[in-house]
Amino acid sequence: MLTDYTLRTVALGAALLGIVSGALGTFAVLRRQSLLGDAVSHAALPGIALAFLLTGSKAPIILIAGAAVAGWAATWLIMATSWSTRIKYDSALGLVLSVFFGVGLLILTAIQKMPDAQQAGLDTYLFGQAASLVQRDVLTMAILGALALAAIAILWKEFKILSFDPEFARSLQLPVRRLDAALTMLLVLAIVIGLQMVGVVLMSAMLIAPAAAARQWTDRLGIMMVISMGAGALAGVAGALISASGSHLPTGPTIVLCISALVLLSMALAPNRGLAWRMVNRYRKSMQLGREALLVDLYILALKHAERTHAHDETALALMRPGAGSPRGRLRKLQEIGLAERAHGRLWRLTDDGVKEARRLYRVRKGGGDP
Amino acid sequence: MAAAVEVQDLTVAYRDQPVLWDIDLKVQGGVLMAIVGPNGAGKTTLIKAMLGLVPQAAGRVLFFGRPLGRRRHMVGYVPQRGSVDWDFPTSVLDVAMMGLYGKVGWVRRPGKTERAQAMKALAQVGMDAFSGRQISQLSGGQRQRVFLARALVQDADIYFMDEPLQGVDAVTERAIIDLLRSLRERGKTVIVVHHDLQTVSTYFDAVTLLNVRRIASGLVKDVFTDKNLRLTYGGRVAVLAS
Repeated sequence: MLTDYTLRTVALGAALLGIVSGALGTFAVLRRQSLLGDAVSHAALPGIALAFLLTGSKAPIILIAGAAVAGWAATWLIMATSWSTRIKYDSALGLVLSVFFGVGLLILTAIQKMPDAQQAGLDTYLFGQAASLVQRDVLTMAILGALALAAIAILWKEFKILSFDPEFARSLQLPVRRLDAALTMLLVLAIVIGLQMVGVVLMSAMLIAPAAAARQWTDRLGIMMVISMGAGALAGVAGALISASGSHLPTGPTIVLCISALVLLSMALAPNRGLAWRMVNRYRKSMQLGREALLVDLYILALKHAERTHAHDETALALMRPGAGSPRGRLRKLQEIGLAERAHGRLWRLTDDGVKEARRLYRVRKGGGDP
Repeated sequence: MAAAVEVQDLTVAYRDQPVLWDIDLKVQGGVLMAIVGPNGAGKTTLIKAMLGLVPQAAGRVLFFGRPLGRRRHMVGYVPQRGSVDWDFPTSVLDVAMMGLYGKVGWVRRPGKTERAQAMKALAQVGMDAFSGRQISQLSGGQRQRVFLARALVQDADIYFMDEPLQGVDAVTERAIIDLLRSLRERGKTVIVVHHDLQTVSTYFDAVTLLNVRRIASGLVKDVFTDKNLRLTYGGRVAVLAS
């Protein structure tokens, strides 16, 4: 299937896009700048339209340059607004996003009314059109992407401390503002190289989703970034293949759906953070608590007798905790781990280890004392 | 010899509202100094302004007679624990090594030497056994110790600490105070934003009473008086120095 020129180009482009946006998205998510990505990608639209108006060219490299300038301008405007006015960061972000996007749509409409056959196709930047990708576009993406990744590698520790504790970084006299500007510029770069394929509306998903999925699997920044890049690439290739498999699904949205599926999967299955993991843990914990309660109950019953290993009937135990159900299963488990044993029939007693453990638990619950 | 820290006419304002007004301060070397004052007195702002982290509207700050730019390796900083996201994907050792990022230089990554230095600092705060731990799994007191270790690796001469004893248990408080004293023994100067008036005279040599203006500054025995406390806190202070 990959022998097909278009498909190979699209799949390669999508993989590249996934890698670059996965890498930059890691920082964006950790710095809580996910929404900035959304604003930048929407703000790119007027840049694309203006670049076409000014040059009359539809060459992706020119439109990408326009998008980058507009995205950068939007970022700067958001920062400046939240610094120098009373408008808060999130409001500034929403404001700039909608104003830029609105202006972009207006210019786009105006272009479409112009009596020039060439204008058609500019609106594909709204949702992306992967099929329009040619080898030269992929090469452009590869070069820009490699530059971005190289910058991350060179400034790794600076970007890390900038993301974790910018104020401390400043106390080390690192040029935090310039580093911040550099990282934001790279973010803009990652966004604009995806616009042709995924479009301005959905591009932020490519940034946020791989990193969000990766965060579920690891507690180390480096590993998170590698997983994020892998997830982005996987979703890119999968989306390209699915949309090319005769389903007539648009590539951009399909890629976004694929990466969303990876996020859901990660949220459900990842160790420690995943839902499944937590449910299993909670179940195990509740089973353990049930067993411990039973152990203490056996102990309390035995307190009335000379020897702590005196046997008692299941029914008595069941009556001590109405609603907990039959204690048979839990007693068997206690027997398995050597804390209780079956005297005969329905009669159970603590073992010596069981007495020790029950006494410890009893003390913990009563807060001391030695019965 | 010049004072370890000298603040002259320091004024800081947020949107035309003075947060610190005309502060003058002198801290001698080898001294543990507390900065106390009510909420909103500008305690955090004061140390941030001294470190150049918030813009100064007026005034200047000297470290051993020179401005910060010439003395940057002499100054260490322990920010408030709550100022960062502890869910950040990184380990205890990694955070401790961040104190060396300024010295490692561009492009270079911290290596074996830095790792060893960070481990030594972690050992000093009793956190070496946790070096591989993800930071979100630490208790509040442990997080504070990691922040202290990150400052220790800087091997600074003057330390600024923002509420290091806030919300830590008695054992950690003890350990931190012991650490501060050992820093003093090595001739370091430590300036601590502090909130517990009861412990000022046992823990610190010097104190600055702050409420937007500097109310008083000097040795605890000289300036930590009922009168100065009342001036700092208004009539609201219930527990006065004994």
